[in-house]
Amino acid sequence: MKTVFYILIALLLMSSCQKDSSWQLTKTIDLDTITPIGLAIEGASLWVADGDNNRVVHLSLNGEIKKAYEGFERPMHLAVKGNTVFIPEYGADQITKFDGKTKKTLVLQDSLDAPAGISLWEQEYAIADFYNHRILYFNGTETITFGEEGKTEGLFYYPTDVQLTKDKIFVADAYNNRVQVFDKKGQFIKVIGTEEKMNAATGLGVSETQLFVTDFENDRVLIYNLEGTLQQIIEEGLEKPTDVFIDKNLLYIANYKGKNLMVYNHK
Amino acid sequence: MYLLINFLKLNINKMKNIIVLTIGFFIAVLGFSNPLQAQTDKDEITVQVDGLGCPFCAYGLEKKFKEFKGIKNVAIEMETGVMTFDFPAKDSLAIEQIEEKVVDAGYTPVSVEIMRAGGVFETSQKEEMETAEGESIETTLFVAGNCGMCQARIEKAANDLDGVTEASWDKENKELSVLLNTSQTSLEELSATVAKAGHDTKTAKAEKGVYEKLPGCCQYERVD
Repeated sequence: MKTVFYILIALLLMSSCQKDSSWQLTKTIDLDTITPIGLAIEGASLWVADGDNNRVVHLSLNGEIKKAYEGFERPMHLAVKGNTVFIPEYGADQITKFDGKTKKTLVLQDSLDAPAGISLWEQEYAIADFYNHRILYFNGTETITFGEEGKTEGLFYYPTDVQLTKDKIFVADAYNNRVQVFDKKGQFIKVIGTEEKMNAATGLGVSETQLFVTDFENDRVLIYNLEGTLQQIIEEGLEKPTDVFIDKNLLYIANYKGKNLMVYNHK
Repeated sequence: MYLLINFLKLNINKMKNIIVLTIGFFIAVLGFSNPLQAQTDKDEITVQVDGLGCPFCAYGLEKKFKEFKGIKNVAIEMETGVMTFDFPAKDSLAIEQIEEKVVDAGYTPVSVEIMRAGGVFETSQKEEMETAEGESIETTLFVAGNCGMCQARIEKAANDLDGVTEASWDKENKELSVLLNTSQTSLEELSATVAKAGHDTKTAKAEKGVYEKLPGCCQYERVD
């Protein structure tokens, strides 16, 4: 009995000493005239879609501009693989593959209407097709589409971003103010975020353990575990956040109105 | 007479040159002016739009306008809210038509200016009406809405109502503050006006069709 008692006391002490880990701001990268809609990182390269200025900007991880590439029609939530940037051109209704020199259009078996986001996973890709209220998903062999305009489960109201993981598809269902999760057959699994009263869930990122959602009009980023339990809310300094990216142990948040990137590490 | 004839004989070559040069000049002017004439067969239109806070919707406005047949060079300056485009003069768009298109897209046109191909300038700016005498009271009203686009729409609807000035809508607490001239209008009329624009108040509801036409980001939770 005494042993049990001591064990319980020990457990109690251990749990009280254990600090909750959370994301803490480590630096802010001023982007000057760049209005960031989407961002992606590959190696030491940071790519930002500068929607208002119709360009894509290549920066170092410290925010130093390496080169700005003009002539993209409202670039949105982009993705990078190797040396190639995949850029949804909202105004041109296409996904453009760009390697810093040449542009190629991603050939699709269907037409897009204002693509707002793209995600890559091995040989797969998924596209958030904004005005068509749907997701296009290529599994490496064939393409499926799922979703249509609506407010119930499985339907979308202007999806603005999408993220692929090994076995799931996460969708930023912007004006339904939520995130929806699907399997790779396009079957609905769950909704996340309805209790937090988001106002325009515009961008998202997924790590191995967490989901990050930009709550645009509420100037905050909501962080959940992958089951959908809210773990942290980041608000300070955010001004119309549009996208997030997780790279190693760092979280980057694109502030559209603030024209900066805020960088957090996990402590 | 003899002197005149001699003068003409001596200077005939010079005069020929002058005549040739003059004719050549006019031909050149007429020839070069044709391309200029071709460029002015388009009306140049400038629209000041309010509420361009959300890029997803603002880019959508630009995209919608690009779909109009004949329209060229559509561009939106996000910082200033200025949208410009060219339109064939022969299909002449009226100011009211342009305003309607902007409103249909969910935005609030503050002003429209057209430089017609023929050089005529038109504007939607109205002269300010003199305020009627009567008591102006500061009052507030709950108005449902979500975003910057909602704010622009609500404030314009309120300010356009005779007797209302200094309308200001707070996105956080959903409160519309106005100076209201009680001899010209009333809180009930103000409430009905903003509801007609698509935004519920506690005493007046927007029509379903009007609400559903609002852009996605503006579709607030309806007031019970």
